Amino acid sequence: MFHQTPLKTGAVLLLATAAVVYAFTTGFFGLELLTEVAILAIVAIALDLVAGYGGMVSLCHGALYGVGAYAFASATVLLGWGGGAGMAMAVAGGGAFAWLIGAVSARTHGIFFIMATLAFGQMAYAYFFDSPLFGGSDGMPGIARLDLSGAGLDLNDSRGYALFCTVLALLAYALAATLLRSGFGRTLVGIRANEPRMRALGLPVWRHKAAAFGTSGALAGLAGALAAQHTMYVSPGLLHWTVSGELLIMVILGGLGTLVGAVLGAGVLVFVKHEVARFTDHWHMVVGLVLIATVLSGGRGIFGQIEFLWGRRGARRPEPAATEGSPDHA
Amino acid sequence: MTADASFWIVQTLNALQLSMLLFLLSVGLTVIFGLLHFVNLAHGSLYALGAFVGVSASAFAGSYWAAFAVAPVAVALVGIVLYVALIRRMRNAGPMNQVLVTFGLIFVFLDLFRLGWGDIPLGMAEPDLFSGRTEFLGIVYPTYRLFIIGLGLVVLAALSLLLSRTQLGAIVRAGVDNGDMAACLGINVERVFFVVFCLGCALAGLAGAVAAPVLSVTTDMGTAILIPTLVVVVIGGLGSLRGAIAGSLLIGFVQTFGAVLAPQAAAVAVYALLAVVLILRPAGLFPARG
Amino acid sequence: MLEVRDLSKSFGALAVTQRVSLRVAPGERRVLLGPNGAGKTTLFNLLVGELAPDSGLILVDGRDVTALSVDARARLGLARSYQKNNLFAGLTVHENLALSAACAQGKATALLADSHRDRGVVATVEEVAERVGLSELLDASVDTIPYGARRRLEVGLALASKPRILLMDEPTSGIGPGGINAFHAFLHGLPAELTILIVEHDMDLAFGIADRVTVLNHGEVVFDGPPQEARDSALIREIYLGSWGAEGGGHA
Repeated sequence: MFHQTPLKTGAVLLLATAAVVYAFTTGFFGLELLTEVAILAIVAIALDLVAGYGGMVSLCHGALYGVGAYAFASATVLLGWGGGAGMAMAVAGGGAFAWLIGAVSARTHGIFFIMATLAFGQMAYAYFFDSPLFGGSDGMPGIARLDLSGAGLDLNDSRGYALFCTVLALLAYALAATLLRSGFGRTLVGIRANEPRMRALGLPVWRHKAAAFGTSGALAGLAGALAAQHTMYVSPGLLHWTVSGELLIMVILGGLGTLVGAVLGAGVLVFVKHEVARFTDHWHMVVGLVLIATVLSGGRGIFGQIEFLWGRRGARRPEPAATEGSPDHA
Repeated sequence: MTADASFWIVQTLNALQLSMLLFLLSVGLTVIFGLLHFVNLAHGSLYALGAFVGVSASAFAGSYWAAFAVAPVAVALVGIVLYVALIRRMRNAGPMNQVLVTFGLIFVFLDLFRLGWGDIPLGMAEPDLFSGRTEFLGIVYPTYRLFIIGLGLVVLAALSLLLSRTQLGAIVRAGVDNGDMAACLGINVERVFFVVFCLGCALAGLAGAVAAPVLSVTTDMGTAILIPTLVVVVIGGLGSLRGAIAGSLLIGFVQTFGAVLAPQAAAVAVYALLAVVLILRPAGLFPARG
Repeated sequence: MLEVRDLSKSFGALAVTQRVSLRVAPGERRVLLGPNGAGKTTLFNLLVGELAPDSGLILVDGRDVTALSVDARARLGLARSYQKNNLFAGLTVHENLALSAACAQGKATALLADSHRDRGVVATVEEVAERVGLSELLDASVDTIPYGARRRLEVGLALASKPRILLMDEPTSGIGPGGINAFHAFLHGLPAELTILIVEHDMDLAFGIADRVTVLNHGEVVFDGPPQEARDSALIREIYLGSWGAEGGGHA
């Protein structure tokens, strides 16, 4: 079960503070990285919501992210809508597509669920890759950022945009945490733990899973809209299944089913890629080896390990041993 | 143009050629899953490895047949290393961990190819024996592509015989049907797994070497072929030889004819087909177990 | 309350349920007896919808539920416990019971409120934990509690959904004589209006708690009547003793 423990709250505050301090001390390139981390953190949170807490391991979150980006681009460039309406469109588009995928795939499990999501994701990729309306393989340029000048914010300034994305990432975390603490989230964890029993207790499991997947897709769609505005350009590459794979790596590295880990994983992967790229252009190999090592060691991921050590520290105190039976994660 | 009979014959041959390539890849993947319950996303990378090794071998020996002989062996050797180091201990780790580890392998292979062979697409010459074109039924068709089709059929026949007539085949069929039962019968399941895994790798390597003269050899050719291969395996039914044959033909034809008849819809059609199969028959068209 | 008419189910040539008819009155304690493989668990699976019958009808309060899904039947007040523990692994006893209570109280999909701290849910969790003797273990993970406690939680999960009809599949299996006495007490403490069906192996226990006994053999109802009559029935004695003989009880 999910609990917003003091450790989690502390970690989130620390990460948020670090992001703000970094935003005001770094240059253009650092701000670009920060923006990327904040955006990917939102998708990783969305993925952890279904994979870590719902047991639905998805290989289509890259596609949901991409659908959000294309939805924003189409709404603003093709339809001439405003940025706000475009963002709403991205959330709705990602959510609707994800709900559909969830509804169709909810009855499959294990590797079949993974394959089903992979297939749907690649279907979207193939569609945008071949579609002349959306620019085909060239994608769509000329995307403008949301205009918040009324509120005194200039999102065309890279610091302003980085902070904007950071705030949205924080809101995404708050939303996910609230959802996981609610009856909806508790039940989702129940489904992961024992789906047939949840059904026997009277829950329409299929509807619940589809709703969870849809919510996750809406968050991924929001991130897609931010990514489209970040680079001011969308391309089918956003939807490719390897993007989904990288998102899964972030969640695993940070700690599956910890929520904070998703944010941490996004940060670590983006910065590792960037740092490794300074020495060699073979970051793929480094990331691949790290991933293999993490999984082989039966790893809990970075934040999972922190929570584990923290829990052990707590258990050593002369308190009743009952704390041992209520781990904070999962 | 579509009314022209030769058009249909040529496209049918193209579809068959793609189907045979997909078959060489998917048969290994599917039998490995059926027996070991292991999904190897790096199977496409093994195919790419076969192509790269093939390019080097044929360049070194000055003959296509060096590639044909060396690539399967080399890839099988790499398969042995993978099996001992990774696959064996990942067998009971659950689908997510298997997907992750083999996804990591894709990344590792990608950079190994770049380190070893560079980023520039490589080519490989056809064997002299099958170079040029053949005329029949009023069409002119590259001889080497006919060779691919023939080779696929030969492998198919050999595997069918292996499965139906030999002791190893009987064990494999029993293992796919009921793994615990096979273990109870005192069969050394571990050794059978190992042999099957190596055979699957060798076939992937063979597919790479065979495809090299037709396609350009690039670092991402493995990821490009992986998805259609997975689609074949899931549509056919994980673990099923008949499913691999049917799935390969289905995808080969849909993709080839789709590309010339309705280029807009072709790419989506393959995945839509998969989605329909998953909804109607979640275990695939020819499920391995009843 | 609960009525079954001519229910049949076969797996291939093997008829596991043959024209079974039952009528259980509100508040009745009904015990299903029968040797291994008599089709008791299969009948439960058919009643809750985990298996679809080949023919026959299942009625709850006169309403035909034969075509309803497992979850829809549960929402009508049909709950079951399993012969093999079927709990939410990795979660605490409190979380297990709360998942069940929240589902029954319509809190399972609440988007803001924490269902596990909801007053109604917590009240049910504490009441059920008290009934099944798990009050001391509420915060323990189900993976760490002893077998007997897990067995009681299995029944508690069904009970926490506040059912009107409770099906218990061998609730006393493997818990020893002390546990069986406690089960007696537990059963007497349940609300009188709750309709209960229990699959039981132990004849003495069954006769002690049943208002009425139904005996199954090879998927057929061979006896239906009050426990005294069952105790004296030569047929039942023969079935039970026969099941130890060479013929065996068939499949599991």
